Amino acid sequence: MIDEILVILSNTLASMVPLVLAGVGEIITERSGVVNIGLEGIFMASAFTAAVVTFYTGNPYLGLLVGLLVGLLAGTLHGAISVYLRGDQIIAGVGFNSLAYGLSLLGLVSLWHSHGSSPPVNKMPMLTVGRLSIPPLSIVAVLVGIIAWWWLYKTPSGLRLRACGEDPRAAEAMGVNVNRTRFYATVIGAGLTGLGGAYLVVGWIGQFTKFISAGRGFIALANVAFSNWNPLMAIVGGILFGLFDALAIYAPIKIQESTGRIITAESNLFRTIPYLATLIVVTLIMKKVKAPRALGKPYIKE
Amino acid sequence: MLSVDRESILEVLMSLIIAFAVGTVVLVVLGYDPIRVYSILFKYGYGNTDYLLKKSTPLLLTGLAFSVPAIAGVFNIGGESQLYVGAITALLVAHYTGSAIPAVIIGTAAGALLGLTIAALRVYRNINEVITAIMLNWTFFYFIAYLVSAKYANPKVPHESVPVPPGARIGGIFFIAVLTALTYYYVLHFTEIGYKMRVSGVSPQSARYAGFSPEKMVLTSMLLGGAAAGLGGALLVLGATYTIDTTLSAIYGIGFTGIGIGLLGRNNPVGIIFSSLFMSGLIIGGQWVELKTGAPPELADTLIGVIVIALAVPYAYRLLMKKVGQRGSAA
Repeated sequence: MIDEILVILSNTLASMVPLVLAGVGEIITERSGVVNIGLEGIFMASAFTAAVVTFYTGNPYLGLLVGLLVGLLAGTLHGAISVYLRGDQIIAGVGFNSLAYGLSLLGLVSLWHSHGSSPPVNKMPMLTVGRLSIPPLSIVAVLVGIIAWWWLYKTPSGLRLRACGEDPRAAEAMGVNVNRTRFYATVIGAGLTGLGGAYLVVGWIGQFTKFISAGRGFIALANVAFSNWNPLMAIVGGILFGLFDALAIYAPIKIQESTGRIITAESNLFRTIPYLATLIVVTLIMKKVKAPRALGKPYIKE
Repeated sequence: MLSVDRESILEVLMSLIIAFAVGTVVLVVLGYDPIRVYSILFKYGYGNTDYLLKKSTPLLLTGLAFSVPAIAGVFNIGGESQLYVGAITALLVAHYTGSAIPAVIIGTAAGALLGLTIAALRVYRNINEVITAIMLNWTFFYFIAYLVSAKYANPKVPHESVPVPPGARIGGIFFIAVLTALTYYYVLHFTEIGYKMRVSGVSPQSARYAGFSPEKMVLTSMLLGGAAAGLGGALLVLGATYTIDTTLSAIYGIGFTGIGIGLLGRNNPVGIIFSSLFMSGLIIGGQWVELKTGAPPELADTLIGVIVIALAVPYAYRLLMKKVGQRGSAA
């Protein structure tokens, strides 16, 4: 019994990492007034590049670093489009998702001549605490959440960032450069998401696969709404949504063990759990949350 | 009538130029000859009319599924699952009844109902339609994969669902799709409900002042959009694939591509007829490119992605035109 709880807990911590990193990153971005729904694409692009770098260098930490850089680059693109070119942020995000998916698979096929997955790459070692094994990045993700909360709510620069998302005109009057703040908030948010994407490969799965992200970018978006744009709550949300993910993997294995029946087709049913549960949680909670007021609208100076 | 303004044409052209330029860079980096790839893409992509029309049918309809709600101010990214439910319900109705008409009707209704669900969650629970739609997309992806492999597997052909019985198979599906597009064009531009939808999309505030509820238009537009995608799924299985494979490769991705098609058609149902043909050619051509050069078919996804991103920034082109115009008048 204890062992089973430890397994579920360990799986939960493993799947919460990308949800917390991307969720907290997106909170920073959205608090400044920019929405980036291209998280899924950033996961794909950074997971792929992390796999490539780790494959050739054998160093998963280098893979992690490159994933972070790819995230920052993606943020630069989205920031430039959203802030300076006043583009439609939702459309740009959707386009980026398709572009990143296409590019990653193009790269996958031309490098490894496989249409499904990369060869296995080195992973970061897990930490062992008593009988519980946890990915080191889960501690980093929690720290990132706490630091982001402290930054947004307890520092003057955090206040200025939030002002850009609530009332950009007033922020400008206070002497804040709204466009620059929004641009950097988008870059930082995407960078954290890139870290989460690289983690999928070098911290968790150990290879790049076509379906490695599988909607996690959007679950991270749901986590943003769940958290009411509060990084501390995003940690809680990450654990909750991570638990759904862990159960979806754990439940069919457990049933198989206890009944002796081989489950193949039915495993598809269990895979709906994280998505359905996310939808239900968001439905129950959503009436009570409040998005930044100027979210998604380009700021046009007079 | 058909208002095609110069700005729209410029935006579409610019986005295509940027897309093919980026595509060229990607191909060179990956070590393929871009001229050869593009010539195969265009030669074979648009070579087989019958296949092109079949391929375009569901894409045209998911394009409408994106654009009609977009006109009313809703971002319907759920064309994907709306098409899935249309496909699976049509397949099952055809399987049990052996006739096409009830299958088409129920498939369309299933898509409409799912679209309405997303809209209702936005209107009554304030849930962002993007999140709802993606969660539903994945839920139905796995649920239908389960149905096809566990409950309705074809005992004779592995990895396939039961087939559509011969009596329920239909032809001419592209014309049904075109007819739908023309009907939607008429509804949007020549009826009161269409007018209300367009006003709600541009300014919900004005709609409220004019005395009608923009929320109702959100619901209506998602009903119409979902119906289009559901019809697309029904026509796809009844008129093209006659079955659904267990990995869902026959139906996966059509809803997402529909977003690009809607945008490229500038959310105009008539424009969407043409953009669906164009994009289908790219996708078919991409498959040929794979056969002939080994370059993966995801080249099409890459191009579509760049097209969509480029279409998100009309302001950039206006800025560009202004600069060019100024330089022209100064000289």
